[in-house]
Amino acid sequence: MGQTGLRFYKFSFLLPGFLVLLAIILFPLLFTIRVSLSGWDAIAPGLNWAGLTNYAHVFSDGRFWEAMLRLSAMAVGTVLVQYVLGFALALLVWRDILFRRIFRVLFLIPMMTTPVIMSVIWRTIFHESLGPANDVLGLIGLGPYPWLTSANFAMAAVMLVEIWQWTPFMFLLLLAGLLSLPREPFLAAAIDGAGPVRTFFNVTFPLLVPVSIGAVVIRLIEASKIMETVYVLTSGGPGTATETAGYYIYIKGLRDFEIGYAASLSITYLVIMIVLLTIIAKLLVRIFIGRSA
Amino acid sequence: MASIHLDQIGHSYGTAVYALEKTDMHFEDGKTYALLGPSGCGKTTMLNIISGLLTPSDGRVLLGGTDVTRTRTAERNIAQVFQFPVVYQSKTVFENLAFPLHCRGWDRSRIATRVAEIADLLGLTSRLSQSARRLTADEKQLISLGRGLVRNDVAALLMDEPLTVIDPHMKFDLRRRIKQANDQTRHTVVYVTHDQNEAMTFADEVLVMSAGRVVQRGTPQQLFEAPRNLYVGNFIGSPGMNFVRAERLDGDLRLDGVPLVGADRCRGIAPDAEIVLGIRPEHIAFAQGEELGVPASIVSAQDHGSLLVVDVAVGSDRLRMKVRRDVSFPAGQARLRVSSDQVRLYVDGVLVN
Repeated sequence: MGQTGLRFYKFSFLLPGFLVLLAIILFPLLFTIRVSLSGWDAIAPGLNWAGLTNYAHVFSDGRFWEAMLRLSAMAVGTVLVQYVLGFALALLVWRDILFRRIFRVLFLIPMMTTPVIMSVIWRTIFHESLGPANDVLGLIGLGPYPWLTSANFAMAAVMLVEIWQWTPFMFLLLLAGLLSLPREPFLAAAIDGAGPVRTFFNVTFPLLVPVSIGAVVIRLIEASKIMETVYVLTSGGPGTATETAGYYIYIKGLRDFEIGYAASLSITYLVIMIVLLTIIAKLLVRIFIGRSA
Repeated sequence: MASIHLDQIGHSYGTAVYALEKTDMHFEDGKTYALLGPSGCGKTTMLNIISGLLTPSDGRVLLGGTDVTRTRTAERNIAQVFQFPVVYQSKTVFENLAFPLHCRGWDRSRIATRVAEIADLLGLTSRLSQSARRLTADEKQLISLGRGLVRNDVAALLMDEPLTVIDPHMKFDLRRRIKQANDQTRHTVVYVTHDQNEAMTFADEVLVMSAGRVVQRGTPQQLFEAPRNLYVGNFIGSPGMNFVRAERLDGDLRLDGVPLVGADRCRGIAPDAEIVLGIRPEHIAFAQGEELGVPASIVSAQDHGSLLVVDVAVGSDRLRMKVRRDVSFPAGQARLRVSSDQVRLYVDGVLVN
């Protein structure tokens, strides 16, 4: 077999993988880019050529940028709270305590439920006159609060459900991290005379930084795609108070059928997310691990 | 600084056999002890019981006469250095060395002075402001050592094979530095090692351990000259002691027909008891001229630098002897001179008289 024949022979083994990659990642991406350059809508469906007009429109679309800003606040806010709560829960069931296994499973349940179904349940809980949230708060003399009908409360409600549902994911990753830590640093800290607080800040937390960064970045990526909760709980309302980028793109594409415009929004969103999350990941590493890593 | 008394201490992990068999042990104030033995013989268990990282299944731990069996590690005021380097990654070298002092509420100026002393001793002065993360394993272990040595008011200093990960050429130097640091502070030191050279050069007293028991305790010289049983004889010395069965004829003990030990040393040993002779490789030489010697045939010679370790066959037994490099010896057959007063007698594996 000649050199060229051999090379083809070798590359042919890559073909199945390459075809799958093409079909499920590259083609949809390239197709979306092409659609974003068209004026495809309900009136004139089809891949005509509209050049960059969609993108020009995106940059002056205040509603989209507001949604992006809201999304960032929501994602960063919920992920930070999830991290703190998840870490606390993991520390709680890390060492030998009574019913450790039961607690570990209990803490994971929210993550295993379906977001849409849970959002329906939470919508009931938050119902202003019929829901138990206001009933319970009423017992201690608080409320009633307009959970889903006032801008700030609706935002808080969406974030609360997100935190409730995804804290277990943080818990899981951090617990796995804790369980894989070596014993020696803790023994050394005990010998050096460090109490629980000193041990946490000088041993536990620094050792868990790599896992933490991974968990936070994964959650940020996931949280940026928040959609079901908003859709079911508030439908982006009241007004556009809880509308996130994903939900706005959904409205544009599948409700208003401005397919071309929605595609250009999607591509813009994708580029911004890739750039932002890369910067965030690098920054976290720089701050907590240092330049050498 | 305090004496350590292990009062009827024993420990088993779960339901397994005793990792450390019930024993009573005193460590005097200000002396250096080495626990020597192979892996899994209970050395580290004993150390962790003293420091409180492990609560013993039986017995009491007394530090300076006070029962501390249930006292937390931090309150025992003990320093311990582990086998593998442990540094606080997020801190600088200075902060690492200062950490134990910081935890115990020393004031800043006192900490700075003490850390400077220790850094100077360990040759870390130029690295004090560096991040501990980027150091080599050697340097990290130096910091672990430094954290062990930095408190000069500890009840005891425990070291668990601290030089295992250190480069061989640095070991010698470090051993000297630790000794020097300890000569200043006169802590009670318990040093765990499986390296007999380290134990012998470092300690006032060596405890040889095997399978959860202390088999012999004594000065390095005692262990070398009069090992209490075959195990210690084998373990101490490089290569270990030779053990050969003696023939008993006319009251004398003979090796291949040549009398080695006089009848007077066999007094008190039952006439039918089987006697094993323990002979150090250092105490065998080639017989010169007309000297009477044990006939032997040379099997092989191993180069140990300035010395050769020669394997010889005497009858059906094999002996090893140490010979200076510049000594010429015959190939094939030879006669051996054994210093008779250095020969030890063992009955049932235990040293007699």
